[in-house]
Amino acid sequence: MAALLLGLQLRQYGRTLTRSPWATVTLVLAVLGALGALGLVATTMLLLRVTLPQTGPDAVVVLGSALVVGWAVASVLISADDALAPERFAMLPVPARRLLPGVLLGGAVGVGGIATLLALLLTLIGWSITWPALLAAALLLPLQLLTCLLAGRALAAALARQLAKRSGRDLVVVIGSVLGISAGIVVVVVAEGVRALGSTESLLGAVAGALAWTPFGAAWGVPRAIAAGALLPAAAQLLIAIATAALLWLVWAHDFRSRLTAPIVSGGGGRVRSAAWIDRLLPATPVGAIAARGLRYRLRDPRHLVNVIGVVLLPLLILGLNVVMGSTVELELGEGVADLGALGDVGPLLLPLLGAIVLMSVAQLDTAYDSSALSAHVLSGVSGTADRAGRALGMLVLFGPLLTVTAVVTTAISGRWELLPASLGATLGTAALVIGVGSAISPWMPGQTPAPEASPFGTGSSGGAQALLGALLMLLAILTAGAPAIGTAIAAAWFPWLGWVSLAVGLGLGALAIWLGVRLGGRALDRRWPEVLAAVSREH
Amino acid sequence: MPLAATAPPILSLRELSKRFGQTLAVDRLSLDVPRGSLFGLLGPNGAGKTTTLSMATGLLRPDAGTAVVDGADVWADPPVAKARMGVLPDGVRLFDRLTGAELLRYHGLLRGMPEADVTGRAGELLAALGLAEAASTLVIDYSAGMRKKIGLACALIHAPRLLLLDEPFEAVDPVSGETIREILRGFVASGGTVVLSSHVMELVESLCDRVAIIAQGRMLAAGTLDEVRQGQPLQRRFLDLVGTQALDAGSLSWLRSS
Repeated sequence: MAALLLGLQLRQYGRTLTRSPWATVTLVLAVLGALGALGLVATTMLLLRVTLPQTGPDAVVVLGSALVVGWAVASVLISADDALAPERFAMLPVPARRLLPGVLLGGAVGVGGIATLLALLLTLIGWSITWPALLAAALLLPLQLLTCLLAGRALAAALARQLAKRSGRDLVVVIGSVLGISAGIVVVVVAEGVRALGSTESLLGAVAGALAWTPFGAAWGVPRAIAAGALLPAAAQLLIAIATAALLWLVWAHDFRSRLTAPIVSGGGGRVRSAAWIDRLLPATPVGAIAARGLRYRLRDPRHLVNVIGVVLLPLLILGLNVVMGSTVELELGEGVADLGALGDVGPLLLPLLGAIVLMSVAQLDTAYDSSALSAHVLSGVSGTADRAGRALGMLVLFGPLLTVTAVVTTAISGRWELLPASLGATLGTAALVIGVGSAISPWMPGQTPAPEASPFGTGSSGGAQALLGALLMLLAILTAGAPAIGTAIAAAWFPWLGWVSLAVGLGLGALAIWLGVRLGGRALDRRWPEVLAAVSREH
Repeated sequence: MPLAATAPPILSLRELSKRFGQTLAVDRLSLDVPRGSLFGLLGPNGAGKTTTLSMATGLLRPDAGTAVVDGADVWADPPVAKARMGVLPDGVRLFDRLTGAELLRYHGLLRGMPEADVTGRAGELLAALGLAEAASTLVIDYSAGMRKKIGLACALIHAPRLLLLDEPFEAVDPVSGETIREILRGFVASGGTVVLSSHVMELVESLCDRVAIIAQGRMLAAGTLDEVRQGQPLQRRFLDLVGTQALDAGSLSWLRSS
């Protein structure tokens, strides 16, 4: 049975890869990412082994605990796409106990599982300081891997009933996107915090010592205790580790068994508030209706919500990073900072521009997100111009105020209020330019998006080759047509009055870009409705 | 039928063709739908019904041929032709992150209707189709039958003269099915025209006054119900035209053994 399930999982991988070249690209990226992480683990392990051999075990305990948490979080994030979900076996006359081993192993077959196994093997370098520790670690390796796999399965199982509700799934998507956007920055902030606290080694030792007694790190704590010659703690931690795995298995198996006979049916979120203010805000015309629909989708569809969060969060995160890192950079550069002078202030000033750049995929892929629901526009005979204008209006109404707030916040933190018009000019000008170009090119290059109801992190989230080309075109537009607004904004750091020029130029350029984009895109759409519909209806 | 014989047809398809790769989905298909008829489009799975309706409504560009609605060419003058049609497509998504009421309002406003009319008609349609309770539930949480009904409401809201409905009764419960039949009969009695596709013979036989049978993208028979039936039950006539798939004597024998 286990072999059958493993085969099933492998065949499903194979099919996805042969069906879409983008699946191959995603796989290659995942493998590269995993290799990078493994390289980092290998280097750290070797460095510690050579320079600070006693610290190795501490680092491994922390790494192991992180792996367990990582597996738990990741499995919840992707639980919507579980190919081996118990419900799929509900019709078969097979008892749960015969399915469980295969399902668990099936989850390990993949980039994540193989990378985890390799990482665990690499940690043996850290344990090689004493023979007993190395032996214990090698013997415990299966238990460590099992803990990772079970942590993922058990948490997803425990949350399954919540995840079956739309509100639960949407929440997971939002949390996942926030985590994804901020992952790199959180690591830097934590690392800075550790450095600020003082000696890294003693802190690492304290953290590892504490984690070794928790279910997260106990399986790695055993060899650590053995390396230190503390046999009694080692025995106790072994007990914790075994109990953890057993408990996780029980939670998961119980859930699996009950779902075989009482499958969880994905349910809805019930009634929603109608948000009538949106209808009052926008005119009762085709253009107004399309804008209102766009606005509702941006707040209700997790695929859109992820983008909205990205537009606001990215500039604020970079700003936060800037604030955290600021002190250390100054320390290291010493006098250098003073020489940068006003240029140093341009950074925070232009940060909201990042949000405007995130808008690129939003603007170009807006039609593609509709999928075959776009047929409503085709059937109603609404003009291409009205379609483009409605979408642009919907984006302006939401992203205009959001970007303005971002610009005000970043200016407030930098403290140079005289530069606010420059920041607004650069940001709003770029945003409008991006919306205009996106409107014009999307009838020709609608791009790919994840299907409605699919995970926003799944297939198609890269946007495809058309999105890449579109992004290049929009960057080109920003660098050429957007140059007057951005250039004057930068120059405003020395001559603040230029900020007002930037604001005027930005708004003027932006309005012109949107007008042109709506005209050109609308005309193209009127000629190409069926072709665009066919392109966006294709689901992968 | 003197009226049908003299007045120009409300929907006229001429030599429509569509090829997908190696498959000829629709092959020089011509069809006239007289004004005021309730027209049933019959065919087995994969016959080209949906492809034909898609080309008649502007969703799919034909390789060759024309589609004319009430004098307006669908592909030469889309705004005019589309304004006269109400369409329930099959196998496409709805804007399902809207509630039922919001979706109806959206379709009404897309059609350029005044807001007051949209609001009034939306309420009436939701009540008539038994969706009033679900008016503020997201369409994504509707059952398959409810989605058909809200799709039908969207096709009706601008009071078109011609309705093109692809599988309107699929997954719809018997009570709602009867409501829909009543709505369609009333619509036709007041001068409207309905074209619906189905593969449920009994339903077409009891509801439609004209039928066309298509298979493998070709028109096999078209006319009034009696012309097509030729004195036989519609089911029999359909099987004769389309051809049946006889089972070998030995095939699936293991299924009969127990």
